[in-house]
Amino acid sequence: MKTGGRPLLWISLALLVLLGVLLSLSCGPLGFPDDPLALRLRIPRVALALLAGSSLAASGCILQGLLRNDLATPYTLGISAGASLAAGALIILEPMMPVIVFLGAGSAGALAASAAVWALARASGGGDSSRLLLSGVTVNLVGASLLLLVEYFSPASRLVEIIRWMMGDLAAVDGAVPLFLLPFVVLGLSLALPRSGTLNQLSMGDDLAASRGVRVSSERNALLLAASLLAGGAVGAVGPVGFVGLIVPHAMRRFAGSDNRVLLPASALGGMAVLLLADVVSRVVAAPAEIPIGIVMSLLGGPFFLALLFREGGGGS
Amino acid sequence: MQRLTVEDLSAGYGGNAVLSDISFGLEEGGICAMIGPNGAGKSTLLKAILNLGTLMSGRVTIAGSDSRALTRPEMARLASFLPQEYNHGSRLTVLETVLLGRHPHRQPWSTDSAVDLCIAEECMDLTGVAGLAGRPFCELSGGERRLVMLASALAQKPILLLLDEPAASLDFRHQIDVWKLLGRLGTMGVSVLASTHEIGIAGRFATSVLAVAGGGSRAFGPPPSVCTGEILSDVFGVDLAVSQDGYGGFSVVPLLVGEA
Repeated sequence: MKTGGRPLLWISLALLVLLGVLLSLSCGPLGFPDDPLALRLRIPRVALALLAGSSLAASGCILQGLLRNDLATPYTLGISAGASLAAGALIILEPMMPVIVFLGAGSAGALAASAAVWALARASGGGDSSRLLLSGVTVNLVGASLLLLVEYFSPASRLVEIIRWMMGDLAAVDGAVPLFLLPFVVLGLSLALPRSGTLNQLSMGDDLAASRGVRVSSERNALLLAASLLAGGAVGAVGPVGFVGLIVPHAMRRFAGSDNRVLLPASALGGMAVLLLADVVSRVVAAPAEIPIGIVMSLLGGPFFLALLFREGGGGS
Repeated sequence: MQRLTVEDLSAGYGGNAVLSDISFGLEEGGICAMIGPNGAGKSTLLKAILNLGTLMSGRVTIAGSDSRALTRPEMARLASFLPQEYNHGSRLTVLETVLLGRHPHRQPWSTDSAVDLCIAEECMDLTGVAGLAGRPFCELSGGERRLVMLASALAQKPILLLLDEPAASLDFRHQIDVWKLLGRLGTMGVSVLASTHEIGIAGRFATSVLAVAGGGSRAFGPPPSVCTGEILSDVFGVDLAVSQDGYGGFSVVPLLVGEA
């Protein structure tokens, strides 16, 4: 209830993130800390995991509140379909582009998809949560079909590249990728965090929020933009890694409660820790080979999420 | 001064008027019970007063200010609203839910101050939900949720309360408690407009009754002048017998002759 009144929560989350950073820096084929090359490769990777993890989890938290739906994820607004379609098309058309163009295309596709969802919901008579959900599902399905169409006409070698992109990748060759993502995260969080109290109001109902002084449609638009920037940037940078945006806010509710003034920053920190640890697993489990982060995240996230559900079911009244 | 004045109001959705030519007023400390059949437009009227998208024409004045000239936060500091619909699945605790009512009085991201907590506890006591403070909202019964939302509306510290069936899904004891509470708020100077189907109980505590039916207002005045068998039968389209109980309350009995 009080943002400042939960020292234990913030200390444990900070320690968890720190643990993730240290593990991530020290695990892998090269030694640590003797090998300077290892550090040079791993620091951008850690930075990328911190940024992408926090933005995916924060985005999920915002959308779960805004859409009043526990199943909402950053991808509910068509973001993964938009990003995959843009990246897929680029791989087919111009595979030899510099990395930054890929990042930009993925994020642009993601943002275009969520803008389409927003516009469709408005055109159909309002921006309320059920219309947003329905148009999000539609854009996702159409985007996925268009991607299949692109894949159908692409040569096998490029097909492999598209599929590999969709599995997610945290390997940052240098600082360019985290630096690309940074402004998305800064902008997204600076839009969302000051609105966390407003998000609480919107999560109860539009009329109720309005009667308490919330300018519903402009505040909702600002929060949607924040969620889209956060997830769009992350998906452009690391690919459509799933489950972070779904399970982290859920898991955090157990420790932080459901007040978004606490839950939103806690989710951002939790997302950092989860993605860092999943990345460590992805590098250690089949070393020296590396399993794509998207696969690790879903394989670990699925059972974890189910365990959470079963515990809730057993412990609840 | 009149706390609420409604003049020639028309309200509806998407250009279709549900209500038209509604005029009435509510003085400081006045408790108005709004009655009428389902779908008559009671909720639409409450939303129109708050400028929540249903106001089509006419004029609403709250504490001397035209409602269209008030910003959302200004309006929220004057009037609070208990709608019929809200997110039943919210996992906020009861205390956190009541504290949401403090929103117009602070910055959106600020933490709850000691004053906020004190007001929230006081309001939970008033509606009898203090014992539920730590429970998640989604685990409460329908009646408990109404009482929590009422506490939340009170925590907003309004001078005008707009309540959409505050006593719906409550048992007799709680219905009486809610209306007694509204009566007490009236003596403290808060004005209340509440839609209701508990005519018998509401008539005892209300200072005026507004009957809405057939797209307009059918009657407005002190409870004894509106709560007559003739008017109520006309408003609800069913034969009703009304008898005064001698304590200021009414008993309304549907005459079921020929209904079987």
